[in-house]
Amino acid sequence: MNIRSGPRILKYTFVLIAIVAALAPVYWMITISLKSEVDQFAVPPRWFNFTPTLVHYKDAFLSRSFGQYLLTSAIVAVMSTVFALVLGTLAAYALARFRLPHKLDTRLALWILSTRMFPPIVTAVPLFLMLRDVHLLNTKASLIIVYTAFNLPFVVWMMRGFFIEVPREMEEAARVDGDSRVGALWRVVLPLVVPGLAATAVFCLIMSWNEFLFALVLTQTDAAMTLPVGIAGRVTQYEIKWGVMSAAGVVAMMPILIFAMAVQRYLVRGLSLGAVKG
Amino acid sequence: MKKSVLSIDGERGLSFLFIAPAVVILLALSIYPLFYAIKVSFQTNTGQNVAWSLQNFTRLATDKFFLEALAHTVIYALVALTFEFLLGLGLAVLMNQAIRARSFFRALLLVPMMLPPVVVGVVWRLMLNSNFGAVNGTLKWIGINTTALTWTASPKLAFASVIAVDIWQWTPFMFLVLLAGLQAIPQEPYEAALIDGSSSWQTFRNVTLPLLKPAILIALLLRTMDLLRVFDQIFILTEGGPGFSTETISLYIYRTAFRFSNFGYAAAMSFVLLILTNIISLFYIRMLQRQEAA
Repeated sequence: MNIRSGPRILKYTFVLIAIVAALAPVYWMITISLKSEVDQFAVPPRWFNFTPTLVHYKDAFLSRSFGQYLLTSAIVAVMSTVFALVLGTLAAYALARFRLPHKLDTRLALWILSTRMFPPIVTAVPLFLMLRDVHLLNTKASLIIVYTAFNLPFVVWMMRGFFIEVPREMEEAARVDGDSRVGALWRVVLPLVVPGLAATAVFCLIMSWNEFLFALVLTQTDAAMTLPVGIAGRVTQYEIKWGVMSAAGVVAMMPILIFAMAVQRYLVRGLSLGAVKG
Repeated sequence: MKKSVLSIDGERGLSFLFIAPAVVILLALSIYPLFYAIKVSFQTNTGQNVAWSLQNFTRLATDKFFLEALAHTVIYALVALTFEFLLGLGLAVLMNQAIRARSFFRALLLVPMMLPPVVVGVVWRLMLNSNFGAVNGTLKWIGINTTALTWTASPKLAFASVIAVDIWQWTPFMFLVLLAGLQAIPQEPYEAALIDGSSSWQTFRNVTLPLLKPAILIALLLRTMDLLRVFDQIFILTEGGPGFSTETISLYIYRTAFRFSNFGYAAAMSFVLLILTNIISLFYIRMLQRQEAA
């Protein structure tokens, strides 16, 4: 589409306004994390003129437990991603390639997708009770299990799309050459979907890393809570350490932003569950 | 029995082997919990004993907090969806024109949406704090009286504030999906419209919007589902307060279950949310199917 009448200056002004609106609040949090308390509470606000200090980062990650939360977040995100990828990719391959009786392959794929549509609070209440019964509250294992189940439908749906895009002929050629079904999958198909697999993995990491409700419900001890729960715990206290909170916030968002840049090409596809191929 | 649909014997076994683990996990962690919740929703705790009753469901209709939280959720979703859609569409049309370094600008615009929701809460607590927040500080600096603008601390402004934060965070999502939709539209219809001498508004209405409809429906569907379950940012920003002014269904269910330990009633309420979400998503999916059939 081309609106010829739109003068160029106006066009770029709008783009600039949108970008400032999107980034200024994030920039403000970064400055707070780097400001001494005098600069934090200064009036008028100091957007640029302040003396940066790393004292809040030291405070958060060395004196307080945020280092531990960070480690928990990383372990939970990586483990749940690995499990969801392995199980989900196998299922996705089968659903993409095998014709099951009674259209079971399509129906199963849709059913798997539908489990992702439940509002999380609906399953949070019974999962809390179930995990309490088996004494798994306040463990990393509980979060790994729950996030695996949470990411699984996403992996199945995404990878099914990537597998369908691989021409059947390539696989058939490998089979004619004497590969077994599993051999052809391993040697021919999987290498072709590696970019999609990597993008799917990054999405799983992002979703596990950002997840808050289940983490809040299932983990309340320092040893088990993730970074978002740790941050939330400080925000709702009476005396808020703004610098510490912002430092933790900055550290929580950095890996996500880097990951998101890495999957730019697949962003639309991932966020729309494969419905829109950007 | 009819002839096997599978080409080679043993493939059926292999396919079950591949699919079974995923299905078992989803049955155990998505479906079983639903049935567990149904069971719990018919239970009321009377001292030590568990009694079976419909009490949790009859209470729904008379609990004015629940009805208020339901109303908040619906209004929140409608207002945020409208703004996010219109702003996202505007941005998408803008960025679909000849713009230098488009992918770089696009990446910058997407930052709010990628942030962990908890971090969004932190960001806006810092921005909207009435004493030292950047919003009031900057307004004061340009000479605006901010005494009345207490944002999330004021019962009147808090609800508008949390909606504004949602719009800030999720407009980029609408923008991203709609931009992808715009870029997938082929050139020919535009050339035809140009030859017909359509104005740019006519072209937009008669060519762009109809061709963009599938992308619009998907963006609206996914956003609506997310809006109805909103929890994280509001939990950090206001915890549902001041008073009850920003309490949504998810927050009220959370509070009922995990602050007041009334799991039965929380489960009953969560079914209302589940049914509401299902009805709305079915409505969208119908529209999508009709779109595809057309």
